[in-house]
Amino acid sequence: MVSRMPFFFVVAALALPVVHAYTRDSRSAALPQGQAVVGNDLAGRFVSHEEHIQPGMVKPFAGMALRNPHDGDASAIATGAKLFVSYNCVDCHGADGSGAMGPSLADGRWHFGGANAEVFESIYQGRPEGMPAWGSLISDDQIWLLVSYVRSLEKGKNVTTENFGGATVERTGH
Amino acid sequence: MAMSRAATVAAYLDELPAARRAVLAPVLNVLRTVPFLALLALSACARDDAATAKKPAVTTVPGTRIAVPRRGPPGEWTQAAGDYSASRFSQLDQITPENAKNLHAAWTFSTGVLRGHEGQPLVVGNTMYVVTPYPNVSYALDLATEGQPLKWKVRPENSQTAVGLACCDVVNRGAAYANGRLFYNLLDGHTVAIDVTTGQLLWRTQMGNLAKGETMTMAPLVVKGKVIVGSSGGEMGVRGWIAALDEVTGKEIWRAYNIGPDADIKVGKRFKPFYHTDTSANQGATSWPANTWQQGGATVWGWLSYDPDLNIVYHGSSNPGPWNGAQRPGDNKWSAAIIARDADTGEMIWAFQPTPHDVWDYDAVNENILVDLPIGGTVRKALVHFDRNGFAYTMDRATGEVILAKPFVPMNWANGVDLKTGRPQLNAAKVPYQGKKVSFICPSLEGGKNQQPAAFSPATGLFYVPTNNLCMDFEAREVSYIPGTPYIGGNAPEVAGPGGYRGEFIAWDATTGRKVWGIKEPYPVWGGALATKGDVVFYGTLDGWFKAADARTGAVLWKFKVGSGIVGNPMTYLGPDGKQYVAIYAGIGGDMGLLIAGDVAANLPYDVRERGSTLPDIARWTSWGGMLFVFSL
Repeated sequence: MVSRMPFFFVVAALALPVVHAYTRDSRSAALPQGQAVVGNDLAGRFVSHEEHIQPGMVKPFAGMALRNPHDGDASAIATGAKLFVSYNCVDCHGADGSGAMGPSLADGRWHFGGANAEVFESIYQGRPEGMPAWGSLISDDQIWLLVSYVRSLEKGKNVTTENFGGATVERTGH
Repeated sequence: MAMSRAATVAAYLDELPAARRAVLAPVLNVLRTVPFLALLALSACARDDAATAKKPAVTTVPGTRIAVPRRGPPGEWTQAAGDYSASRFSQLDQITPENAKNLHAAWTFSTGVLRGHEGQPLVVGNTMYVVTPYPNVSYALDLATEGQPLKWKVRPENSQTAVGLACCDVVNRGAAYANGRLFYNLLDGHTVAIDVTTGQLLWRTQMGNLAKGETMTMAPLVVKGKVIVGSSGGEMGVRGWIAALDEVTGKEIWRAYNIGPDADIKVGKRFKPFYHTDTSANQGATSWPANTWQQGGATVWGWLSYDPDLNIVYHGSSNPGPWNGAQRPGDNKWSAAIIARDADTGEMIWAFQPTPHDVWDYDAVNENILVDLPIGGTVRKALVHFDRNGFAYTMDRATGEVILAKPFVPMNWANGVDLKTGRPQLNAAKVPYQGKKVSFICPSLEGGKNQQPAAFSPATGLFYVPTNNLCMDFEAREVSYIPGTPYIGGNAPEVAGPGGYRGEFIAWDATTGRKVWGIKEPYPVWGGALATKGDVVFYGTLDGWFKAADARTGAVLWKFKVGSGIVGNPMTYLGPDGKQYVAIYAGIGGDMGLLIAGDVAANLPYDVRERGSTLPDIARWTSWGGMLFVFSL
């Protein structure tokens, strides 16, 4: 949620002049293309604006608010690897984060974003399908160490296709 | 109460095809006013004409019989294993070794869910009931109308959190039907009841605590108005239980833990284990260090069976937690145990641990099949159990005595079972302990057999058993208990067992403990078995073949490549047209499909996995799916 907040500010900021425009104009004003309906209180009414509003597919300030103090520190990755085992992350996400009960963290694909701040959020707040919220259980610094380790896992991996002659990983059943 | 027998009659009328309904309606309407007679009449009036017309004695082996043969129309399949004895045997005999080659797909249905489809559909009257993996959607399909349209579809509220707390995929092992209601468990720890005539949710009872990692995946068993259910989560440091709910109100009637003090596990005066070493007080707590039993696992995620004469429900309990045995020296009773309980009260009658102090993840949750067998010149009231640990146990189901125990798969962790004590004779070289990697232990933690249920045919006297042939390297390590996270403390990569094949479908003689025949498979046989009076047995494979075999010779008579790997169990029913149908889910998953195989999923763009070394090429043969396939001649 933290990183999404700025996005909502952006939408609100863009919407504000539109609302103002509506209150100035008369209800009978012609409706040009690009009409927008903003908020429930304006449902059924139409307003115009001149600027483009891009589809909200990019979180403009993702990763800006939170900075990993250990970024680029190799020893942090090694410490994070130990925490990954001692906090039982390994039994959900698999050895080397290759995926088990929980999704793979080693594939360079991220359900909730792979930036430092986004991985921090995933660990701090938890995620809907069973990822616990660790924010109240362990220190921020330990979360950053885990972030460093988790973000290091995808390096050198290429698991984008099924290559039946290629390498395998050891998996354990439950 | 709310759903009277009269209402059941009404429900039954709805199930019948129109023509049959017209004829039966006046009769059944009269019977509505005479509830008890109605019940009797149901079994008589049901559409079993075709099957009962030619009904020779099923048993061809003297003294051999299913303990409680299925009551009601033989063309139905009203509970997970077909009957209380967990035999998975059907009286239907239209499909024979001679004509099985003519089997073909009759119709199919997509469940809309791409996950491991363990379990099996039910057929009651002319309706088929399907329950999917999470989110546990249930469907009622009208078999009497061309195209099998839905009568209803129920999507109960089911917490998303459960998805990440389930150890071994988000499976569901099926529903149970009784008195106009369908009962099943939700992954998030609820049990639900649905009125089959209306599709209305009658009740929804929270049984498990998701925050602790408790989920529910097993198929309930309905006994005398009680819906018996159990917990999953043996890898999450939970404390396993089995409980009974009132089928009408959904209120909990009793709950018994499997570990802890006597009062909690319902051990009292009636508890009479066969082996004297199992009798001391409070051993469900004292066979654990300090209070470690509180996170000791021993869940009830497998199959239940019931003997009405003894009024005993049989169930297994899962592995003890954590896997690392150094954190819990002792027998760890009653984890990894076969347990007999009074169906009315939950009182423990006897218990037996195939693997005391389990350090191999050898859950004892596999089905307990109740049969009468001629052994040593007398007919024994037997219970046959193919354990994860690789031994097939033929036991006395009244007393818990082990009559014989023989390996049914390649194994090396034990040299045998001492029949004086019931305990395995360990191979010290294959006992894992903390800090050392022990190599090539057989069977692996997936067991000689896992959840895939076996079947029994009284016609041949044989058990039909889907098995795994895998071995593992086990490395135990210390682990901390953190609620809601896995409590495992071990790693156990697997390889193919001796011979290089990874699974075999076998026929087993439980009176002697011998394999009669086997069909070797390249992958673990993770789907269950079905035996039929026509002497044809059915099973499915992880690479997506559905097969029919000759029950007497093991010759493969027919096979069909379905859309995804099979981890479900075949069932058979008589259609409204009087024809025998065989149904199976296709949908790879479960522990074997999801955890071991690695990337067989294509629908999660954020979760791309490397192939697992146990089944490195399974993804060449299958991908995720969720389909019901139905076959007929």
